[in-house]
Amino acid sequence: MELADKAVGFLLTAISISIFVYYTFWVIILPFVEKDHFVHEYFLPQEYAILLPVFAGVALLSFLCVFVGFVMIKSNNKKKSA
Amino acid sequence: MNMKHILKILALLVVVAATWITLLETSVVPHHYTWLLPVYLVVSLGCYGLLMVGVGLMLFPTCPQEAVLLQKDIVEAKEFFGRRGVDVGSD
Repeated sequence: MELADKAVGFLLTAISISIFVYYTFWVIILPFVEKDHFVHEYFLPQEYAILLPVFAGVALLSFLCVFVGFVMIKSNNKKKSA
Repeated sequence: MNMKHILKILALLVVVAATWITLLETSVVPHHYTWLLPVYLVVSLGCYGLLMVGVGLMLFPTCPQEAVLLQKDIVEAKEFFGRRGVDVGSD
């Protein structure tokens, strides 16, 4: 159990660091690299740097709202039956 | 203590907003790059939160030797109460 927690923690840390490094490189450093450099092949066009986080945020928010709604419905049903 | 923290965060937000607005107004950097700054900050904040949760999970303090001592204490206390006729339930 403890080991699984540690593994999940390590996974979260690794994911967050890699997202941060990739996004920093994409947004901050890439505009200063020439247009025909081979590095550009590994990144989506610049518009996606806004679109993807906004889409992820909207998805996260909707998921949270659905989750909270489900929990509220469940607790309401429990109160009625009790 | 809590109030100070809020003030610090608010000051940071004001500074960031001021920098952003100046960048937008003076257009030192092309506009579509300036628009990326808040999104970048939000993404960094999310990454920071995820990192803190991950590090907290990884370094969660556990003390197995204390658990053993506690179990010993429980057994001892049960014996003590059992001898004096107090019912503390079975394991």
